Formats: sequence, structure tokens, C-alpha cells
Amino acid sequence: MENTFDPDLIHAIFKYVWRKRALEREKDEGAETTEVEVGAGTSKKHRPTSANANAVKLSCELLRVFVTEAIQRAATIAEAEGVNKIEATHLERILPQLLLDF
Amino acid sequence: MGSDAEREEDVAATDLFRDRFRLCTISIAEAEAKQNDMEISQPIMACISDLAFKYAEQLAKDLELFAQHGGRKTVNMEDVILSAHRNEQLADSLRTFCNDLKAKEPHLDRKRKKGTRKQDKATPTVLHIPDS
Repeated sequence: MENTFDPDLIHAIFKYVWRKRALEREKDEGAETTEVEVGAGTSKKHRPTSANANAVKLSCELLRVFVTEAIQRAATIAEAEGVNKIEATHLERILPQLLLDF
Repeated sequence: MGSDAEREEDVAATDLFRDRFRLCTISIAEAEAKQNDMEISQPIMACISDLAFKYAEQLAKDLELFAQHGGRKTVNMEDVILSAHRNEQLADSLRTFCNDLKAKEPHLDRKRKKGTRKQDKATPTVLHIPDS
């Protein structure tokens, strides 16, 4: 697929979320490790989760499908109404089912 | 405590990701809309992008939990497929994509490939469930 999310970006977002959660876990477990530097998780137990390259690519695909589905479904509604611009009402109509499907 | 500064840093980092994410979303959405001869109003584009971003963050949490449950520190492709297990068509489509990725790297494990490749026919990447 030529048009998809940048795997590096998705990986960066994932790593950011994981690092934040690793820091939270560290805090929750008590303050024996007080240094809260950005390079988080020096101890092995609190090392943030990581992902392999193919898993990131697959996540990109999942997100791509999410976006294309949103557009496709909204476009179907807009077409049925005879307009050729997707507006808020179209998104509103497809949103509940879209969120259930993902 | 410095939690204010921390939070500000948080917001700045998230905003940067959100902006870059939006650029990607726009190019995907525009291409998709063009195929349907549709235009997308700007606020809707922002909506869809934020929606997808929230989904990505949620996905990150899910994947972490799946990997942890499997006793791993690294997220693999099975975790991603698992995150879509409620939607069988979506899971199948991801599995096809996953097999394609594996096929591109033949030196990696081939032994379990036969088992997972149940359906060889390519499922369309766009699933259409009519909204009625």
C-alpha cells in the first residue's frame, strides 16, 4: 500500500505511551527508584514494552483501515444524500458502528 | 514535584505526535475520498484524525497488555491481530497482510506459516458493512 502511516511515527507514539505507563508503574510500586529521567525504566522490571518492526507495520495497516473505513462509510451516506462533501452529520451517522467494529 | 512542567512536556510531545499523525491521516483520507469523488470538510478531517489518534493510543495500551499476558516484553504481530479479534473480517484482512509481510522475509520462520494461511484469497482491505 503506497499510502499508509509512517511506521516510525506509529512506533514513536507507541513507545511514548509505553514509557509513560512504565513510569506510572514505577511510581505506583513505591519510591525506591526516585530518579525520574526521560530515559525511563533502568531496572529490568520496569523496562517499557517494545515492538518488533512487523508488528508496527501491521498496526499501521490497522490504523489505515480505520481511516479508510471512516471515509468510505461517510462517503456512502453523503452519496445517498446526493452531496459530494463529507460533513459532520455523515460522520455522526457512521460513528457508532465504526467504533463497534474496531 | 514539578508535575506541572512534566505535564506541559507531555502535552507538547503529544501535540507534536498529533500533528504528524494528522498529516498522515490527511494524505490517506484525501486519497480515499478522491476514489469516491468526495470532498472532506476540514473539521471532519480533524475529527477523523483525532479519532484515529485516540484509537492508536488505546491500541498501544491493548498491545502492551496482550504482550504482558503472553509473558513477553515485545509486541508481535499476533498481538495486533488479537486486538482486532472482535471483527473477523478485519482480523482476516490483518492476517493476510501479516502473511504478506512474512513472505517478504523468507529467512524468518516459515514453519508455522502453513498453519496460519487458511484462506489464500486476498480479502479486500476495505470492509464494507452497510449502515442501515
